[in-house]
Amino acid sequence: MSIAIHDLVKTYGQFTAVNGVSLDVQPGEIHGFLGPNGAGKTTTLRMIAGLLKPTAGRIVVNGHDLANDPESAKASLGFIPDRPYIYEKLTGGEFLRFHGGLFGMNGGGENPIGDRVREMLELFELGRWENELVESFSHGMKQRLVMSAAFLHRPRAVVVDEPMVGLDPRGARLIKDVFRKMSERGVAILMSTHTLEVAEEMCDRISIILKGRIIARGTVDELRALTAGDRPSAEGAEELTSVFLKLTGGSGLQEIDEIV
Amino acid sequence: MEASFPYLLLPSVWASRNRARRRQRGDLIRGVMFGGVGLIVCAALFQGAYWLTAQLESYEDLGDYLLRLGLSWLFLTFLSFLAFSGVVTALSTFFLSEDLRVLLAAPLPVRRLFHARFVRTVAQASWMVVIFLAPVLMGVGRARCAGAGFYAVAVLTTIPFAVIPVAAGTLVTLLLVNTFPARRARDILMLMGLLFAASLVVLLRFIRPEQLMKVESLPDLTDFFATLQSPITPMLPSFWAGETLFASLRGGVDWLHFAALWTTAFAAVVVVRMANERWYFTGYSRAQESPKARFTQLRQLEAVVRWLPLSTVRRQLLIKDLKIFLRDVSQWSQLLLLMALVLVYLYNFRVLDLERIPYMSGVVKNVYAFVNLGMAGFVMATVAVRFVFPAVSSEGAAFWIIRTSPVSLRDFLWSKFWTGLVPVLALTEVLTIAGNEFLGVDPFIKMMAALAIVFMSFALVGLAIGLGARYPRFNADPTQVAGSYGGVAFMIQAVLFVIVMIVLLGWPASIYLFQRARRVPLTASQQILMTGCFASAAAISIATWLTSMRSGVRALRAMAD
Repeated sequence: MSIAIHDLVKTYGQFTAVNGVSLDVQPGEIHGFLGPNGAGKTTTLRMIAGLLKPTAGRIVVNGHDLANDPESAKASLGFIPDRPYIYEKLTGGEFLRFHGGLFGMNGGGENPIGDRVREMLELFELGRWENELVESFSHGMKQRLVMSAAFLHRPRAVVVDEPMVGLDPRGARLIKDVFRKMSERGVAILMSTHTLEVAEEMCDRISIILKGRIIARGTVDELRALTAGDRPSAEGAEELTSVFLKLTGGSGLQEIDEIV
Repeated sequence: MEASFPYLLLPSVWASRNRARRRQRGDLIRGVMFGGVGLIVCAALFQGAYWLTAQLESYEDLGDYLLRLGLSWLFLTFLSFLAFSGVVTALSTFFLSEDLRVLLAAPLPVRRLFHARFVRTVAQASWMVVIFLAPVLMGVGRARCAGAGFYAVAVLTTIPFAVIPVAAGTLVTLLLVNTFPARRARDILMLMGLLFAASLVVLLRFIRPEQLMKVESLPDLTDFFATLQSPITPMLPSFWAGETLFASLRGGVDWLHFAALWTTAFAAVVVVRMANERWYFTGYSRAQESPKARFTQLRQLEAVVRWLPLSTVRRQLLIKDLKIFLRDVSQWSQLLLLMALVLVYLYNFRVLDLERIPYMSGVVKNVYAFVNLGMAGFVMATVAVRFVFPAVSSEGAAFWIIRTSPVSLRDFLWSKFWTGLVPVLALTEVLTIAGNEFLGVDPFIKMMAALAIVFMSFALVGLAIGLGARYPRFNADPTQVAGSYGGVAFMIQAVLFVIVMIVLLGWPASIYLFQRARRVPLTASQQILMTGCFASAAAISIATWLTSMRSGVRALRAMAD
């Protein structure tokens, strides 16, 4: 198991953001993590990344318990946050070298970081920006730079929060291809997204979270079957949208006409 | 759509009201501290102006002449400050402010937006001048027993006096932004401003103002003022303001200069408004473009750091911190001001003529050595609160990178400590050793002070890093971080620490010097007492250093809660 979480709970005072969430992501699996705004997706992902301490529960990353052995767990994990905040006064190449250094990658010798940095920059189409300051990057470029940093140290599991936000169609296509290739090489990817067509296109399994609890889990077909019985699906993403809306309690779309 | 321009000022008013209503930890202590310092400064300005004006009154015509020149000179100083402040503020209010995206997308006439932004620019650029000017003019008025009319004229003079240079500054900004990218212009201006301030500090010290206080130098003083009366001075608003106020002090009204002030202010606003209507949008549009930034790669720095015996993680953290600091003009340029202050500090010791006190010079020199040590401690605290305390906060929103990497928060914080320690230690050691060298103090005191600085640096840098980790502000710039609750708490603790250290070192050192002056050897009990004091000073320093660092690491770990 690359990522395994057991009965994860996170409370803020009286408010329970995550309430007994358990899930596992196998090597090579792309696991979608869906839910409406405020359902607890980002909180869960941040706990797995080591940014938040769970109130209760256990997180195991590639066999390392995050609470007992955080450094080994983090060393085998890549994290891509929803907003790409990075050091604006470093160049793209410097940021990646710095990031590699944090993961113990040296400048030369047995672990040549320079080649790997250039490799990742080329992969994410940032090669000609290697020596430019991050402050001159667009949002999409920063997002791709953060992704190249997440894959730089060859992690065996990656946690991604909203990967497609701010990416143009070409960038989105690139990211999908990279994620697929990585999963083919055995990297486990846990990805939260609001773009249901991305989830449908890419994810092997999907967990739907609502008010801090997992309310459904399975492949896209299994989820469809949950809400539509054995009625065959014909409309692809739209069908998943209605599955999602049914499971998470509707959208209040009927009010729009009145307001408009 | 038809909202008048004051409506556009409402967000600033509401934001200020919300800030005033917001209650944060440390508000009281911060308020008392900053308010107290502000009151003391205002009271000193009032008292100084009152005393000087009262003194000048005894010189009759010469006194009047000097007062008139003094007022003109005072306004001339503020004029240059206001013009520069106007340039910098206009850059932010007209071109870089985030809310412009909302305002420019709204169907607002350019003129209305200009009026709102200009009022804001004048207010932001001139509030500090008004705060300094008010007690000075009140002191002058009180000394001359001026009536209410003088104060009314003072207010009516200050308004156009502030508007004229700020309008000129706004015009310069408009031209600058149409020539350079806005962010580059800001960097250039910031650098120019700090160079100006630094050279002013050095210049003011090197003309040795204390000489002006001597009676025998009075003719020089009048010469000095007279040189300010160049042919162009009567053309400046500072001269008009000075003349208007001087006339009012004597119970009359100088309508000519008063009218000159107001008409020029109106004309300046009209001219800037026309220029604004013509070039503002082009400038704003240019300010949005982000051409590839010019910067130094600092490859030599990387090469040097590679030679240091550090782990990969610490080396990368050090390279990152240094590069970010050196590429941010708003950060490193403040070092220029610091260097100017260091120069002035050392120069003061250089010109200190203690030999004039024949029998006491030896004692006074050694007392000054402790003044030097205390001053170095305060310099250390000031440098630490500005450059070391914000070290954790400076990670900003990018702190997730450290927290999700396999680096322990302990390693991270210690890396910040060593990065801060080396420059602080080097700076304060240079200050102390050079200061004591200039003074020619006893070798024992010299050595003790140099050693004390090492302990104090570890303690204060540790305290700054630890408190910086306990009270971080990730969304604020370093100057704001230094003035936050944690920064104020650090300054209070740092000052207390320095005082304790001076007492613990000064007392045994005085016993040693006293015995030496009497040519009597130290008794066993005195030796034990001295050792106890020195050991206590060392123990307090080490305890401050280590407990602060530990509490900082704990606070960083608790962030995940």
